[in-house]
Amino acid sequence: MPIPVTIADDSMMSRKAVRRALPADWDIEITEATNGKEALAAVEAGKAEVLFLDLTMPELDGFGVLRYLHEHHAKTIVIVISADIQPEAKKLVDSLGAFRFLHKPLNAEQLSQVLFDVGLI
Amino acid sequence: MNNALGDEQRDALQELMNISMGQAANSLARLIEAKITLSIPKISSVTPSEFVAMLSSEGMWHTRQSFLGSVKGEVVSLQSRLGCEAIAELMEYQLPLSDTTREELLLELSNILAGACLSGFAEQLALTAKLSMPTVFDPEKLSPDHYRWANTLSMEVEFKIESSQFDSKIVICLEEDSISTLLNRLNSLLE
Repeated sequence: MPIPVTIADDSMMSRKAVRRALPADWDIEITEATNGKEALAAVEAGKAEVLFLDLTMPELDGFGVLRYLHEHHAKTIVIVISADIQPEAKKLVDSLGAFRFLHKPLNAEQLSQVLFDVGLI
Repeated sequence: MNNALGDEQRDALQELMNISMGQAANSLARLIEAKITLSIPKISSVTPSEFVAMLSSEGMWHTRQSFLGSVKGEVVSLQSRLGCEAIAELMEYQLPLSDTTREELLLELSNILAGACLSGFAEQLALTAKLSMPTVFDPEKLSPDHYRWANTLSMEVEFKIESSQFDSKIVICLEEDSISTLLNRLNSLLE
């Protein structure tokens, strides 16, 4: 069965960039979310076993999504992909239980390594 | 020639800016040793009269610097006066700022911000643009026709630093040829 994966980013270009960087032979079903609320809705609907999450988003930002998932002990594997590369942002993301923090512009090899680390591919 | 910015192009530019502003915020955060909250950049095309109106906004300091390369133009930055004071305080400058110190701080901030904006375009779109040194200017002392730019792109970014707010607007003025170059590169990125 394909793994449900959600890509949450307000930028269409960035969502495309994530899609392009994903391993071609990975059996997944992709849902796209354009803000934090849509991302949480996707999680609730069981469409996000893996969540690729941007931090700077309208409605509810990535930190808000992480906080919610953390408080609700969600099983979602969150991989943050953000332009906010400040050490403080990384610390906060780590404390909220994100699995990994990747910087934009996204590097496909790095992404594959992360998916390998978590045992997804 | 159609130099209008479509939705997809705006989205792409916004994202390129978002990435470079993340780098700028990181440099700035190290400088002032505080966490900076980034907003989503706003991108819009600006007409010459809107541009003049934008420059007359109150409570801002203005700097400008030109750039040359495969794209040519000028970057005008507007930084809120209150925000500059807040940054000066975080950097433990003596307040009130002397004119010389303020100018030094403004030039440093605009170099970081304008440099990041421009490198956002340049690196990610494989264009070259070399920035000159910034200078502080007073828009009231310049005649409106000083600005010969027919096409300008405005990129507004807003940084929040702890409890204080530092508003900053970066306006990139491009020569007409440069706008077409930029749009062509954006389009190939979107294919």
